[in-house]
Amino acid sequence: MKTKTGVQRSKLEATFRYLLLSFVAITALIPAYIMFAGSFKTQGEFLKSPFGLPLSPNAAGYRAAWTDNFPNWLANSFLIVTGAVIVTEVLAALAAWGFARFPFKGRETILGIMVSLMVVPPVVLLIPLFQLGVELTLISTLRLVILIYVGLMLPFSIYMLTNFFKSIPESILESASIDGASSFKTFKSIVLPLSGAPLATLAVVNLLWAWNELLLALVFLQSNDKKTLMVGITGFQSRYSLDIPTVMAGMSIATLPLVIAYLFGQRFFIAGLTAGSTKGE
Amino acid sequence: MKLTRVKSEAVGVVSRQRPARSSREAFLWIAPAALVILFIFGYSVVTVLIQSFRYDGDWVGFENFSIVITDPIFLTALKHNGQLLLAVPVLITLAFIIAIALFETRRGMRFYRSAVFLPYVLPIPVVAVVFGQIYQLNGALNIFLKSVGLDFLAKDWLGDPAIALGTMSSVIIWKEVGFGVILMLAHIISLPNETYEAARIDGAGFWRTHFSITRPAILNTIVFYGVIEAITMVSWVFNYVYVMSNGLGGPGNATMVSELYIYRSAFQNKAPELAAAAAVFLFIATLVLMIAFFRIQRRSIAGTFNK
Amino acid sequence: MLIGLFNERGFANMKSRKAFAIGAVAMALLLGACSSSGDNAAESTPSESAAAFPTEDLTLNISWWGEQEAPGAQKWLEESIALYTKEHPNVTIEHVLQTTDGLIPSFEAAAAAQSGPDIQYFWGGIYSQQPGWDGHIAPISDYLSEEELSHYINAKVESGFQGKVWTAPWYVNPSFPLLVRTDILADNGLAVPTNWDELMKVCDVLSAKKITTIAGGVKDGWFGGWIYSILGGQSVQSQADVINAVVGTTKFTDPEHAGWWTKLEESKNRKCWNDDINSLELYQAQQKFVDGKAAMTITAGPDAPNFVKKAGGDEKVTIMAMPAWSDGPLAGKMGTTSQTLGITKWSKYPQVAADFIKFTHTTERLNAWYAATGSMPADDRFDISQVESASTKALFESALDGAPYLENFIPAQLDADAVFKNVQLVLKGTVKAADAAADMQAVMERLRKSDRKLVDNFTAWAK
Repeated sequence: MKTKTGVQRSKLEATFRYLLLSFVAITALIPAYIMFAGSFKTQGEFLKSPFGLPLSPNAAGYRAAWTDNFPNWLANSFLIVTGAVIVTEVLAALAAWGFARFPFKGRETILGIMVSLMVVPPVVLLIPLFQLGVELTLISTLRLVILIYVGLMLPFSIYMLTNFFKSIPESILESASIDGASSFKTFKSIVLPLSGAPLATLAVVNLLWAWNELLLALVFLQSNDKKTLMVGITGFQSRYSLDIPTVMAGMSIATLPLVIAYLFGQRFFIAGLTAGSTKGE
Repeated sequence: MKLTRVKSEAVGVVSRQRPARSSREAFLWIAPAALVILFIFGYSVVTVLIQSFRYDGDWVGFENFSIVITDPIFLTALKHNGQLLLAVPVLITLAFIIAIALFETRRGMRFYRSAVFLPYVLPIPVVAVVFGQIYQLNGALNIFLKSVGLDFLAKDWLGDPAIALGTMSSVIIWKEVGFGVILMLAHIISLPNETYEAARIDGAGFWRTHFSITRPAILNTIVFYGVIEAITMVSWVFNYVYVMSNGLGGPGNATMVSELYIYRSAFQNKAPELAAAAAVFLFIATLVLMIAFFRIQRRSIAGTFNK
Repeated sequence: MLIGLFNERGFANMKSRKAFAIGAVAMALLLGACSSSGDNAAESTPSESAAAFPTEDLTLNISWWGEQEAPGAQKWLEESIALYTKEHPNVTIEHVLQTTDGLIPSFEAAAAAQSGPDIQYFWGGIYSQQPGWDGHIAPISDYLSEEELSHYINAKVESGFQGKVWTAPWYVNPSFPLLVRTDILADNGLAVPTNWDELMKVCDVLSAKKITTIAGGVKDGWFGGWIYSILGGQSVQSQADVINAVVGTTKFTDPEHAGWWTKLEESKNRKCWNDDINSLELYQAQQKFVDGKAAMTITAGPDAPNFVKKAGGDEKVTIMAMPAWSDGPLAGKMGTTSQTLGITKWSKYPQVAADFIKFTHTTERLNAWYAATGSMPADDRFDISQVESASTKALFESALDGAPYLENFIPAQLDADAVFKNVQLVLKGTVKAADAAADMQAVMERLRKSDRKLVDNFTAWAK
């Protein structure tokens, strides 16, 4: 869109754009930098120059964090996230196939309502589920938290997969049903193999959500050996409030798995997060 | 963007099965997920509703509601959720500007995009802890401001009740803006080239082009993002507030929000019936958002099925 | 909040402890309060204590906390168990040291299921009353004689309820001493203040020199409750006055209950506190004292000797009660509260549990407690003359004749919603003393409506 008369103007604009983007990028990155750099400093260094590089990096913070409860919390987070994401994928894929493949009365409305459930504040669900958990003695069990996470992740997951399944060309499916394959077999041997990308995308989105969830984990995982990382670090920060490098090391440990997942799976993150909006334009 | 590509190339499925058999089949496929959803949402919402009318096993009519709605702390909490909604237009504007800047940028676009999006990936409790440090009276931000001679801007960011909520929303904006950028950028990229032809011939300016052409073209996405963020401000700010105010919503009640109020009522003040009543109020408030969301999604769902 | 959180590890989780602690208390109520109503502890009869000591094999479970604030407690407890079970071979005792966050949640989960530990740890005052009101514990006075209990420090005043005593005090927390760096005062030509006005003058001199007089942090709230107890306690006659204001016979705007807000405001205006008091947690702020950047701070009782050591020993630091601003009977006195053990309602062998508790109060065990932890056992039969350190001895003596710890006599919600928050605001200068008192009264009036059992419970407690 650069016309000849606009050359100078567009140069100016480009400068402005880069300035803007640089400012935004620095703002976006600096807290992560403070955290990561801080985790290698001493308390004194951190307080004196939070922005400086760790001149004599030391891993004392990591040692302190690691010998605290981090391995335990990390394991709980992994278990919960893995369990919840896998169960969600399976249930959502089945349901989405049901919605996409078999028309029935009220289908759009039911799907619409299901999707709208994403809006319900989790805090509304908290009290009844907590009471039930107490009655069933499921407080501080990973099972209950996994089940609740699955419930909360299903609406979006079904919605996203339904959209994808609807887009599989009919001709592919027809050839299968001519071969006499049952609908389950069609689903298993034709639909699923085609769905690698959306399933991965969904897994990444759900992983991000479940890993970062605090409120439910805080309420349902009361005993120390069952806490997730997010609950753990919330108490961790006050336990080490005099030792900021250790706090920052703990925060870095809690963040690292996600940042690694993000760097390697950026494509899926972005695809997943845009899936909800770009559809149906 | 692979997903989008697959979708746009594909032709929709038109099922040719008979309705009766079809709905029975659909039921079997959907049932497992529907059961979980019914349990988590259906059971909970019904139970919380019943509970909001009871106290100590007795039916008390609207007593719990009248206690909650006359509680200044609850009203303050609702007001704060309302004030947080003011951050939504800010988010939209920022996201739009950054998305356009990214779109127009060839060199380094991937780096900038990754950077802008990173905050969205970070866990909220981590973000809240780190910002809690940065915003201390003697923390990184004030150290920076003083070092560049802007002492007068150095504030007690989280300790001063007059600005604590604003500080809190700055953190939310910092974290959430990347999401909007990604959404809008994806949409802008997918716009056909012709969109800009006319403007190009006109020699229209950069900002004018985008304001008058891009903005309406991606309006759907902007609205979608706006609704999502409105939902965030009403029902997902617990994590920020809980961590940054040490679970108190302070100083004073300066950062109290409805989620924290409900949490504290149920789990600190031992008043689950009041928490239930407050939860019902919150649920009703979010119904408005839910309907907005439902309409947007339904349009898109209908679009999917009618392809 | 309470005394529980004194040393580094204990302090640590103040915030989450409260969250979980009270969160868990909610569990029982959340169950619909059905398990808790009807079940009034007053039903049990003292005759049980007369029952013969069981001869069959039995196991007692203890769920406790305290190693966090009194390191050495675990060693002492294991020793006590070994000695006791040697005497009673048919008894096995198992113990679980709970985490700060886990103590109350696990108890409330047990209460909901009506099974779990036989002996449970509770903080004093309202924290030992509430489980009694909820019907989760049997009064210890049903199993121990009045004479025995009369030696347990703070038993009646904190855990007494209508002639019964809910739980048995275990060890004492002097609450909360003011630590003064005499070296900093001397450098600035100042003496240790003996009353409030002198303290204010110290603030004037030190603030002019940009030195913090008292280091504190209220971001996490708790310190507000401490300040209430050590300042507000000075103008009341006894804890009964506070309960009267809770049930509505008097008001929190009455001078005896509101005066301390004015003093707090004065201390703010005279620049006694560090400027970042609102953005620091208490524990972070106390570090300023250790680092020599503040002349005074307020710490938990058991932790005070550690702070003295860290800040340079007895020559440089004095431990004292908050200087008096009033001539009330409690002004200038150290507060005192005890951490306690209670017997659960569902325990099958309450008399054995009580016997074990009694055993821990034998002279040998009391001395062993002091030897193991350096803190004070909650029994007036403990011989203080064995304490060598002068400052520790003074601390113990002041706790023997201590003032009631007020924060333990108000509803926890009033503490958090009115005290914590208004202390934050008064120290920030955005709320005036009179408005803070008015708000506290307003919160209390609301609370009487929203907590529909509160008045009955507190009225019964006051009797």
